Amino acid sequence: MSSPEEKELELLIGPQHPASGHMRLVARVDGDVVVELRPNIGYVHRSVEKLAEVKKYLQIIPLVERPSLADTTANNLAYVMALEKLLGIEAPERAKYLRTLLAEINRIHSHLYGLGIHGVMIGSSTAYMWCFGDREPFLELAQELTGARLTYSYIVPGGVRRDLPAGFGERAEKVLRYMENRMKDYFDLYFNNPVVRARLEGVGTLSREDAIRLGVTGPNLRASGVAYDVRRADPYAAYPELEFDVITEEAGDSFARVMVRVREIVESMGIIRQVLRKIPEGPILHENYEKLIPPKTREVMKRKGIIKFPSVFANLRVPAGEAISRVEGGRGEVVFHIVSDGKPSPYRMRMVTPSFRNVILFEHLTKGARVADIPAIYGSLDYFPPEADR
Amino acid sequence: MSVSRAIRHAKAILTGFKYLLAGPRLTIMYPDEVQELPEGYRGMIEYDWDSCIKCSLCAMVCPADAMKMYVSREESEREGKVVKRPGINYTRCIFCGFCVDICPTDSLKFTKVHDVAYYTYEEQIYPPVEFRKGVPKPLYFREPRRVRAVLDERRGMRYEPADGS
Repeated sequence: MSSPEEKELELLIGPQHPASGHMRLVARVDGDVVVELRPNIGYVHRSVEKLAEVKKYLQIIPLVERPSLADTTANNLAYVMALEKLLGIEAPERAKYLRTLLAEINRIHSHLYGLGIHGVMIGSSTAYMWCFGDREPFLELAQELTGARLTYSYIVPGGVRRDLPAGFGERAEKVLRYMENRMKDYFDLYFNNPVVRARLEGVGTLSREDAIRLGVTGPNLRASGVAYDVRRADPYAAYPELEFDVITEEAGDSFARVMVRVREIVESMGIIRQVLRKIPEGPILHENYEKLIPPKTREVMKRKGIIKFPSVFANLRVPAGEAISRVEGGRGEVVFHIVSDGKPSPYRMRMVTPSFRNVILFEHLTKGARVADIPAIYGSLDYFPPEADR
Repeated sequence: MSVSRAIRHAKAILTGFKYLLAGPRLTIMYPDEVQELPEGYRGMIEYDWDSCIKCSLCAMVCPADAMKMYVSREESEREGKVVKRPGINYTRCIFCGFCVDICPTDSLKFTKVHDVAYYTYEEQIYPPVEFRKGVPKPLYFREPRRVRAVLDERRGMRYEPADGS
């Protein structure tokens, strides 16, 4: 009779990321029951953090966006907030609202991206097409605001780069109304579909205690009933002045994680409406920098709503010290820690990304699950390989 | 199968059919159709030789080292000192637009051109003299139909002819 070890088979799943060979899953299976699943997250670990040590402060903005292409605003905002703490400045009110606006547009299209990928992982190519298609209007809005589709580099120390374009509010309202109408069809076609429910309900259940113990973050944490959201716990940008709920679900299974994202899309649309209604008039760049711009250029800048960088931005020096900042990105808490020694580049920079904190769930949730459950669990975690490997 | 499950199956199928017949169509037939881009789109960069004050801020701020200062030989000889002007390497450019936003004299400007293909690596490097000639015109097999994205609250994205025809 064979020993238990001999019954088990090692199964290599992946690589999951087509571009860089990230994220291979090494599974040990007994029949089709997963005994152990170990994620191999890749091999460019800390490249962004080390590169940042040789780049100047402003040049790091596009760099930190790269690991998380579906959710660039969170990294951009968290980095700039840490920088502003070191500089001892705070963005003007209008800039704070614009930061919040872009962050919420980004959260919606990041969630739609995650839901779409999850859809195709469990075999629903329609969900994938719908989510990616409906992501497009939000990408168009963000492009109109920032000039780029994904890598916005919109948030700079002391403010934002562009003001609201004329007529943006009406166009955004159209998109929001479209998405609200469309939501019902999403439920009919996908979320209430018995096939989808059967694949997700009760699969990969994460208990509240385990979620806290393992340090899980973002929608994955809230799906286990923990009402933790950085926007509430440590408010930043315009969030203290806006009303919104922290979305939670109690079940903690794959379906609950998906539902948190869906309900967050609706909540984010409410936040966008509030931002567009409440946004105050005023400058979008901190006065310390605005006064460095020649008066004529400043006038043109205000008329066009596109800021000019003061020349100090090319070699921005920040006082020696340390700063930590955190924001709630689409996938969870993003933390930046900058150590400055007063030179134009940071002495050390550390970024903690939500996917890196959530990667532990692959091993935890798949123990005892079926092989067919692996994509259902994987997709529900909204895991983004380069973000963990950064 | 319970009745509620059967109803939900039926709803899913009917919703699928509804969109099969009259759903949003997002695909544009590139390169036969080309999307008009909005104002402020961060595309390839235009360089104005005359208004440039050669301050080199663009090269200093560039995060990807795409913008570099080149010695302008003719001007250097004429003025008897080293004169440098910016040139761009589009193999490195990430279109962040920092160079445009820091340029104090608006010598650098965004264009809406982004879909240009090259045969060689060298062609994508624009020293100042080449850079001043403006951005290349994308080559299409036949003149494409220009469409623009319209946000519609009933259909989401819609692409309609840019000239209003």
